[in-house]
Parts: sequence; structure tokens; C-alpha cells
Amino acid sequence: MREVTKTFVLTRFDPDQDEAPRTQEYKVPVREDWKVLDAINFIKDEIDPSVSHRWSCRMAVCGSCGMMVNGEPKLTCKTALSDYGDRVEIEPLANFPIVRDLVVELEGFMDKFKSVKPWIVRAKQKAAEEGTYRQSTEELSAFKQFSMCINCMLCYSACPVVANEPEFIGPAAIALGHRYNMDSRDEGASERNQRFREEGTVFSCSYANECSEVCPKDVDPAAAVNQAKFNAVIDWAKGLVMPKGGS
Amino acid sequence: MSAIDLYRHDIIIVGGGGAGLRAAIAAAEADPSQSIALVSKVYPMRSHTVSAEGGAAAVARADDTLEMHGYDTVKGSDFLGDQHVIEYFVEEAPKELTLLEHWGLPFSRNEDGTVATRAFGGMTTKRTWYAADKIGFHMLHTLFQTSLKYDNIVRYDEHFVSKLLIANDGSCRGVAAHDIRTGEMKAIIGKAVMLTTGGGGKIFPFTTNGMIKTGDGMALAYREGVPLKDMEFVQYHPTGLPGTGILITEATRGEGGYLTNKDGERFLVERDYGVGSKAELGPRDMISRAIVQEIEAGRGLSGPYGDYVNLDLRHLGEAKIDERLPFVRLLGRTYVGVDPVKDPLPIRPVVHYMMGGVDTDIDCATQLSGLYAAGETACVSLNGANRLGSNSLTECLVFGARGARHMTQYAKSIGQIDDKALVEQAKAEADRIDQLRGRQKGGEKLSEIRRKLNEAMESGCGVYRQQDTMKACLQDVSQLRGRVADLQLTDPSRVFNTEVIAALELANMVDVAEALAASALSRKESRGAHTCKDYPHRDDQNYLYHTMCTFSPSGPVIGKKDVTLGHWEPEERKY
Amino acid sequence: MSRPAHPHAMAPKTPGKTRTAPPQIPASWWSTSRMRAYLAFDATGFVYLLVGFLAIRLVWALGSGQGAYDSALGALENPIYIVWNVFALLCVIGVGVRFFRLFPKAQPARLGPAKPPPGPVIHAGLYLAWIGITVLLSAILAGGLFA
Repeated sequence: MREVTKTFVLTRFDPDQDEAPRTQEYKVPVREDWKVLDAINFIKDEIDPSVSHRWSCRMAVCGSCGMMVNGEPKLTCKTALSDYGDRVEIEPLANFPIVRDLVVELEGFMDKFKSVKPWIVRAKQKAAEEGTYRQSTEELSAFKQFSMCINCMLCYSACPVVANEPEFIGPAAIALGHRYNMDSRDEGASERNQRFREEGTVFSCSYANECSEVCPKDVDPAAAVNQAKFNAVIDWAKGLVMPKGGS
Repeated sequence: MSAIDLYRHDIIIVGGGGAGLRAAIAAAEADPSQSIALVSKVYPMRSHTVSAEGGAAAVARADDTLEMHGYDTVKGSDFLGDQHVIEYFVEEAPKELTLLEHWGLPFSRNEDGTVATRAFGGMTTKRTWYAADKIGFHMLHTLFQTSLKYDNIVRYDEHFVSKLLIANDGSCRGVAAHDIRTGEMKAIIGKAVMLTTGGGGKIFPFTTNGMIKTGDGMALAYREGVPLKDMEFVQYHPTGLPGTGILITEATRGEGGYLTNKDGERFLVERDYGVGSKAELGPRDMISRAIVQEIEAGRGLSGPYGDYVNLDLRHLGEAKIDERLPFVRLLGRTYVGVDPVKDPLPIRPVVHYMMGGVDTDIDCATQLSGLYAAGETACVSLNGANRLGSNSLTECLVFGARGARHMTQYAKSIGQIDDKALVEQAKAEADRIDQLRGRQKGGEKLSEIRRKLNEAMESGCGVYRQQDTMKACLQDVSQLRGRVADLQLTDPSRVFNTEVIAALELANMVDVAEALAASALSRKESRGAHTCKDYPHRDDQNYLYHTMCTFSPSGPVIGKKDVTLGHWEPEERKY
Repeated sequence: MSRPAHPHAMAPKTPGKTRTAPPQIPASWWSTSRMRAYLAFDATGFVYLLVGFLAIRLVWALGSGQGAYDSALGALENPIYIVWNVFALLCVIGVGVRFFRLFPKAQPARLGPAKPPPGPVIHAGLYLAWIGITVLLSAILAGGLFA
């Protein structure tokens, strides 16, 4: 298999040593079928073991390996190096505080995520012995694509509103909240719609559509956010007509 | 000595995958007043459960019975599975999957809105509940999101447990957890500890497993004298992509895919590989052996990553593939540049699952008081010498829950814990890691040792094994244990130092590999996934027992444990 | 190459235990054609603002009597205002087209038990409604209806 040498420019940052992030260059002999992650792992294994990065499954399903590659958020295990020229810049995900090298702070997302109550909310859950709920394929298709989110956070890196408004709930968290709102087994839409109207509101979304452009799993969070806007308004209107206990 | 922060909980779960999350939820529900620590070296949604594709098995249809599921599992295990465990498992399985459905898992559905089931290897009827071809992903995310409901589950994300803390009375009362972010050690203390850290597939070079599957929990228990059971039984999944080892689900065969050689023959039908009329739906060990034999007979195809055979899905049609196997289509296109709608996928057997693990009883309790294990980390033993596909996800749920309920009861019987000795151990462990970080004076390169370990395991403990190569493998691995102690590490940093974590993982991998090689050498028969060319037949007379491997400073000590038989009599395993 | 995002973007509620570097965005974030289209889309708001001022001026003149109104209308015949109005019309069409393009996915997947119609049907409906309302309003404003 053919090998070419490419130059990789990695962001480096050790809070104990560096005032601010800096870059470091590495020359790597890359095979033609490599993904970006293969090159980063080569750097770590053979050239500079002090590079810190997150990865695990290498099959685009665990969501660990999101990074900026030449200025665009990518899953590095899925991104072919053959799409790039001789110089590849790899930075940590945009819009996130940087912990170390290519590793970003994820707790901000975990806070936003938990705030939308991403679980089935029901007044009374069936007992296991009573069997499963019936759900038609149509009902499943109402929310199925939104459940495909792997929490890779590329959408947060792409969103201009996330970059400017720290309170904004953000694409993935809204998509997952909306996923539960649309699940026929859930009864918590009212609570989530209220959350969607509160601080960090879904209405901060200004239709950039960048989240859906970068999503590696075709979740289409932009669709979820805009559907959520519609539903949040309907829910508010219902609340005026039927205060408390409605829906 | 470093300063150590102490955290007290009632029970501690190490590992946040399918089994760990299910255990945490079960514990939170069993006693809402107890405090549960969930300690994971990655954020839980990154756990390797996420990559499972095909489905999870439980009796669902009217034409299915617990007896049939139990028999299929016992036979699949080549009669080494403990039958009381299997009976409990098949009975609980439907309840556990029903709970998952209640918690929101988007199962694929039949026309009438009930959960759909598909055929799977070694199963006599359709009992594998599925969600397109991403069951593991949906199961992990459903469990993780459900776990967020419980305020008494306290998570320690990105904390690496490097040692179990043992009280003066010999019981396990906590863990030393290295905070990867800060580089500091935490002593997390509780009444019971459960290991749910998955298997150790990364000791092999070609595996479906992700980077994190380094056998950490198995090594933690092993080093405290807990035996590892049936370690020689390593499942080779028949259909992994060459090179990367990425998993191509058994569901491709469940939905009707064919395995063909270079002449386009369905060799499982053309020749007798023991799978009978089941053909591509035979059990994994037999299919993997068949593929290796086809390749060795010169009927395989050659590629840049070695020899392979074809998985042909073209006759299923684009509509069915997009509905039932969309992820497989994506994986084919992304990782080997093949669209399975148009061309056959290249595949070869790759290491996938460890049937063996930490020895536990049916309550998931180990011999070490206070220490439990469940999921792939444990060997309870549900799967015996060979696991049927789609049983392991259900196993995580059934035994994660049972173990957690048992731990909850056990914890109530434990009084105040004297944590002085435990904190001392955690401090010593913190110092050990401080010394290890950026250890310039070593002479061994980490990636080189890992490579050598992979090579040794590939040559000695592959699909087909031989006494002489197993012996050489064991010697190589034992030697590597010495070399691991002399690693040269270049990164002295404190914050998010992943080199030192890799070093700790490598040490775990070498321990697990040594136990595996020693166990494999001791089993002089062929059973299930362990095929020894020198002893090609199953020997129930002499070898119907579980291999027990216990750590000792002079090397692994091999012992035996009885298999719990039941009403299913061992018979010849033919399909 | 990067520049700073908002200093608290994606910040956790509880500060992390180690110092983090502030969030960054790519320096040339605005240079992709998608982002330029998005910026243009949002910037048209300014155009509507100015058109709004024009409308307010007209209404103000109306309140000042027939003479003032006639002279304000006359001023609008200046080519600059015609060009500006045409430009504003193009902006509105651009925004409308972009919005309609996004609409099928933005509307809820289901309206009760009914399945939404396919994309092309929705698009056709939206444009027909838009053109229809435009024709109706033009007829009213030109004095052809309800004169």
C-alpha cells in the first residue's frame, strides 16, 4: 500500500506548563486508507507519547474522537486522510474550554443534557410482567432519527449561537429532549417544552443549519430544534387555555 | 506521601457500560436511600457496549419457550455453561428487555406494534430483539439516560481504578480511583464493589473491541487472588472487517446473508463444518473455524490486510439492507470502500468476546467478600465454552441487576468501615503512579511491548491452537510481564496524562494474557471456542470442568471448578 | 488557526478542577459558502429595518395632511428608493426561499395521526400560498379590491 508523508499540526496545551495553547508539528508516513485518527495514534505511539486525545471504538459510534480538522469539526475515526493535502491541522473541538491538547471540557454539555430530562417521564410505569408498550413503525419514525445522536458534540462546535450565547441549550441536547417529546411512550413533553422556553431557549436558534451539516449520524438536529420551537409555542398556548393539568 | 481525598458511598460500581449502568439503576431502585458510586475511565456513553449491533435475546414469540432458549444456550456453550445460571437467565431475560423497552429503547417493531425479533446464530427460533442494527448503541444510551434520573447515582467519569482497597479482615471495601483530569488519586470507599469493566480483547491484534477493552477489572480481581475462570475461551466473531477488525453483525447472516469463498461457493453448505442445515446461522466458534479452514485450503481471497472470505448481502436488496442493516452499509462504505448492496463485503474472524472472566456465583459474588463482577468481566458462567450471539447484552442486564440487588442486601449487613488501612493503600497507590509518570529511566517502549503482546497472543491463542505454540506464547507473555515493569514513559504531566493510563492498561493486559495462555495450555481437549490441534475432540471424561487460574508470584496456578449440570445432558454438539 | 469564542461558551456550572484554555472558533469561520449565506440571511434584517423607517415616514406624513403625504409619496419616485425597494424585495425572496427550503424538516413530523405530505407537495403549497397572498395584497393596494 502506498505511503506518503504528511505534516500534522496539533494543538498542544498543558495547563501546568503552557500559558495558552500552542502548536506542534509532526511528520507522519500515512497509508492511503488511513483515517485522521490513525495518524494521531501513530504520533502518540511512535513519535510523541505525551499527546493526549480521546478515542475508543474507531467505528464512528462512541462519539469520543471529535476534533477540528483543518477548521471543521470531524469524527477523526471516520475522516479519510486522503481527503486532505500535505498539511493537516488538528485542534480540539471549537466552542469548548480546552482541558489538555485535543481534550475538551464536556461537563458543560452534561449540564445542558441533564436539564432537558432525557429519559421516559411517565406518571405510572408498567410493570415488567405486563409486557412491552405497543408502538407502531410510524410512531417509531417520529423520533427515531433523533435517537441516533452519539453525543459527539460536533454540532456544538459548528453552531454560531453556541459560540456566542453560553446559556443556549444547544443542538444535541434539544434534539434528545425533542426525541423523548416525540416518543409515544413518554408523558413529559410539557416539562421539557417549558425548559425549552426558559434560559438558553430553543428560540435562540437562528437557522444556521450548521449542526445538521456536520452531524456524522444524520440526526438532523436543526429539524429537531425547529420542531421543538413549534411544539414549545403550542404547549405555551395550551397552557394559557388549560392552565395546569393540561396535556 | 500525597494527600488523598476520601469519598464514601454504599456501593461502588467500576465500569459504566451495559452491566454497570443496569447495576447502578437496579441498586438505586432497590434502595433509594443508598449512595451508589459509578466509576468509569471514560464517560459512560463511550463504553464499548455502544458498538454491539445485532440484538439481545429473550423468549418473545408464542412458538418459543424458556426450555428452548436454555437448551440452545447450553448446547452453544458446549455443555460447559452452568445450568442453574442458564435457567435463571432465560427466565429473567424477557423481563429485563421489557424494562429496557419501558425506559425508551427504540426497538424495531412488527406490524402490530409488538417488538420484532430476528434469527441469530445457534438459536432455534427468532428470539433476538433488535433496533435496526444498533442495539448496543441504543441500549447503552437508554441505560445511561435513564440513570440520570437517580440522584443517588454519583458518577466519577474519567476515573481509572488502579487498585482494589482491601480491609484488614480481607474484604474488599473500596477502590483507588485515579482522576485522569487532575492526576490525583481518590479513595472511594463503600461496603461492596462490583467490577463491570468488560473484557480484554485488546490483547489481540485483530479485534472488534475498542481501545478501552484492556481487561482492567479482570486484572484488578486477579491481583487480589480472585481466580479467573475459563479464560482460554475466546470468541472469534466470524465477520469482522480485515485490518481494522470492525464488527459486522451476525444479523447480516440472520437476515439471510451468505458466506462465500473465492469460487463463490457457500462453503458452509458445500462442505461439512458441523453446522448442518443451519449453515450461516451456526454458532460462532464453528463458523470461525470453517472460515479459517477455507482460507488454509487456499479457497480464500487475498487483500492488503491478509486473507479473507466474502459476506454476500446483495440478494437481500437495498430496501431490506437500508431498513435492517443501515449501519453495516455505512461501515462497509466508510472502512473498506465496499457498498454491500452492490458488492460482497470482505470479512475474516476477529477476536470479539471473552467467555471467561472473574469467577462468580449466580449472585455475581466472588470469593473475595464484598467483591462482585458482572457482564463480560465476569464468568458466572452463562456462556461456557462458546457464547451464542445476542445473549451477552441480555446477560449484562440480568446479572447486572441480580448482582446489584444482592450487593444492596449485603451492604445492609455491613457496619461501619475502618477506612484508615484503605486510605493508606490508596496513598501507596498514588505514590506508585506518581513514580510511574514520566519514568525516564526505563528501557522499554510502551507501543513495542503492546505489539509484542499482540503478536504472541495471535500466534499462540488463535482460532486453532497447538500445545507447542501455546507454551511459547505463555513464555513470551511471562517475559513481557517483566518488561512491563521497566517501561520508559516520557510524559511527566499531571493533567489528563493518557500515557500513564496506557501503561496501567498494558500491565492489566499482560496479566490477563498470562492467565489466558496458561489456561489454554492446561485444557488438553477441544471444546467450544478452544480448539487444540493436538487434542481435536471433546473429552467430557476428563475435562468437563471450569478452568480456574489464580495469581501467584511464580506464575499462574491452574485449578478446577465443577460445572453445575442439570437436566440437559451433555451430548455431541452437532447442528 | 483560531480566535476566541465567547469566554464562557460551553462552560460547566461547577468549574473544572484544572485550568482550561478559553473556547476557540476557527479564524476563518465565516469563509465557507454556507456561513456566508447564513450571514447574508441574518443581515437582511437590517434592510427590513430601513424599509420599516421608510414606511414610518409615510405614515407620519399621512398624519400631517394630504399635502405632506403627496410630497412624501412623490419623493419615493426617486430612483434610489426604487432600487432600494427592489433590493429589499430580493432579500425577502431570498429569505423566503431559504426558509421554505428548511420548512419541511422544521414542521412537526406528525399532526396527530396524519402523516405529513411529501416534500415537493409542501414546497408547492408554500409557494402557491406566498404568490396567492402577494397577488391578493397587490390587488388591494392597487385599489382593485375593496377600493
